Amino acid sequence: MTVFRNSISRRTALKGGAAVVASLSAPSVLRAAEPAPVKIGILQPVTGALAQDGEYGRAGAEMAIKDINDAGGIKALDGAKIEMVFGDARSNPEAGVQEVERMQSEGVAAIVGGFASPICLASSQAAARYDLPYIVDVGVSDQIISRGLTNTFRFAPGFSICTKIAIDNLVRINEAAGKPAKTIALVHEDGLFGSGLAKLMQEELPQYGFEIMESISVPTPSRDLSNVTLRLRSLNPDLVIPSTYYGETVLLARTMQQQRVKPKAVYAVLNGAASNRRFVSSFPEAAEGIMDCNHWHDPSNPGNDALMKRVEEAGKQWNYNTPLNYSCVGLLVDAIERAGSAKREDIIPSIASSTYAEHLMPYGPTKFAENGQNMGASPVSTQVQDGTIMVVYPEKFANAEPHFPVNG
Amino acid sequence: MTRGYLSIIVVLAILAALPFLVASNVVLNFVVFVLIITLTAQGWNLLGGVGGQNSFGHAAFFGTGAYVSAMLQVHYGVNAWVALAAAIAGGAVVGWIIGFLSFRAGLKGSYFALVTLAFAEVLRILANAMEFTGGAAGLLLKLDTGFWNLQFSSRAAFVWLALFFVALALFISQWIANSRFGAHLVAVRENEEAAKALGVDVLAVKLRAITISGAITATAGCLYLQYFLYIDANIAYGVWISIEALLAAMVGGRGLVLGPIIGAFSLHGLGEVTKLAAGRVPGIDLAVYGAVLILVVGFAPGGILGLINKLRFRGRPRPEPEKAATPAPKTEEAA
Repeated sequence: MTVFRNSISRRTALKGGAAVVASLSAPSVLRAAEPAPVKIGILQPVTGALAQDGEYGRAGAEMAIKDINDAGGIKALDGAKIEMVFGDARSNPEAGVQEVERMQSEGVAAIVGGFASPICLASSQAAARYDLPYIVDVGVSDQIISRGLTNTFRFAPGFSICTKIAIDNLVRINEAAGKPAKTIALVHEDGLFGSGLAKLMQEELPQYGFEIMESISVPTPSRDLSNVTLRLRSLNPDLVIPSTYYGETVLLARTMQQQRVKPKAVYAVLNGAASNRRFVSSFPEAAEGIMDCNHWHDPSNPGNDALMKRVEEAGKQWNYNTPLNYSCVGLLVDAIERAGSAKREDIIPSIASSTYAEHLMPYGPTKFAENGQNMGASPVSTQVQDGTIMVVYPEKFANAEPHFPVNG
Repeated sequence: MTRGYLSIIVVLAILAALPFLVASNVVLNFVVFVLIITLTAQGWNLLGGVGGQNSFGHAAFFGTGAYVSAMLQVHYGVNAWVALAAAIAGGAVVGWIIGFLSFRAGLKGSYFALVTLAFAEVLRILANAMEFTGGAAGLLLKLDTGFWNLQFSSRAAFVWLALFFVALALFISQWIANSRFGAHLVAVRENEEAAKALGVDVLAVKLRAITISGAITATAGCLYLQYFLYIDANIAYGVWISIEALLAAMVGGRGLVLGPIIGAFSLHGLGEVTKLAAGRVPGIDLAVYGAVLILVVGFAPGGILGLINKLRFRGRPRPEPEKAATPAPKTEEAA
């Protein structure tokens, strides 16, 4: 049995030992020079039904982390670099929770993202078990901030803020144009946001003198909206308000264009396509003139032009998720800077007291309510004008005048 | 009487010991989710595997379990344990109703599969539209950990809770497999006309199977709710859970008592391992998942356990398989 014979001489062993000691001590020397990186969890659905939105968000978060690292990392922590721990939420809440558990085991300081409300609800709850700060990027459901979770913050406006502002903006735009729109048809998807929105509109809009002619519900996904369009033609409303996801909005706009159904305006709320650059560039004629009240970046902020250019140079697409996630990462890093610590118990109060203003959204400084909602957040009204999505309201952030009514 | 119980106890013992061996919540969270899928699949396996009535709509039971429990807790403030019992009963009732309507009409094979799919879809649309079910916004349970709320701050506690119900379902399945009722069920699967000629009350046997199946799957729905604390129509009544249920049972070995648990852990375990190995390529685990499915359907129609038995007894006269609740279904039928 020569296999077990010790053939290593004393000298070889010493040499080897010295080498091992040297190689082991080297990283600790490096570590002393450079502080340990701060890990941040970025959770987005990049496979499944919501993959497109997840990619928009991921691009924003990646660019934010790169910019912060290039600018010297987190200064309060001696220039500690940020390390991204990416998690794919696979468009369902279970996968989101599994990724939160993995991020927790990898020792992230906080988590940003989620996109869809069910993912945000489940993931922020999983994070709450560890008091892990969680910044919701989009998730508009108001349930997210009604659970009394101290770890959960939402930077963007939620459902109730969006609908209130959408209605306010519509009333003001209509009044400014001499009240051309009186009758309204609602087209909404039958899920969480569409039906909830339609219900709210039916309650609110009549108070401002609008008449709701009909509320038409469409399933997601829909393959044909000819009947809905024919119904719109016979109703002939002044205003069509679609609250649908990307595919159905594109389909509706194209069918309306083909059948020459031309209401005075199309005023969407939190729509999946009406303020999406892919829709506008693919179907410029169908998209022309469509208005939307939605999350959008602040066009007066030059940071957005620079970021948009970089996103496009990287061969990626831009949507509101991109500057929103960019800003959420900025908000988190600002909180870490002010706390001077990457410990979660220091980050949470630091976010709660945050007045972060260097973001890319048309919000003003952040101001978190007790429930974790950023009360400074608000959506804007956009309109597709000459193939470009312009902000038309409020004036403070607008880069174009509203064309209202579009037809007639 | 001890036939088959030994292997069940071994599998359960390994899983019950897991929280002592692995402290990682990543693993425990994964185990909880897979146990919930296992329980759903165990319900399916009783009706689809043993009874041969292939359901495509076990989401109907899963969702009913989740919704009954959630509505009782949210709207009426009922205790979570009582709500769990009501949810199991609710699943059984929905199972009986769907069974009564479709079996009495003599629906079999693909017709039965389509009808169950339709039932689940109808329930999904109703849950999505009605105010009482929270509509499309879904229902949210307040995070309030405590034994009486059926919510546990430790993942390990939930592993044991889920395992308790999986164990219960395993023992019920094994008991049925050894019982006269199980023999009747297999007779109905293999040849309904012959079973009828031998005096088996086919309708009653099928109704019993779908009622128990509904109750087991409803328990899984209730556990999902207690774990993730949020359901909406697409989660509770979505097609995804119907597919998970029948995939786990088919990949593990349909009609076999241990089939669902083996299937669920192999499929999801493989997915997780690929995710770790492939690193940051999104969706790679789903591709592997699909490939495994094709391989199983193509080369091992009896599932993993069926394949093991086949390899073990190749070239030898095949004894009564010890683990098998019933003989594996005929190849051409399963495929």
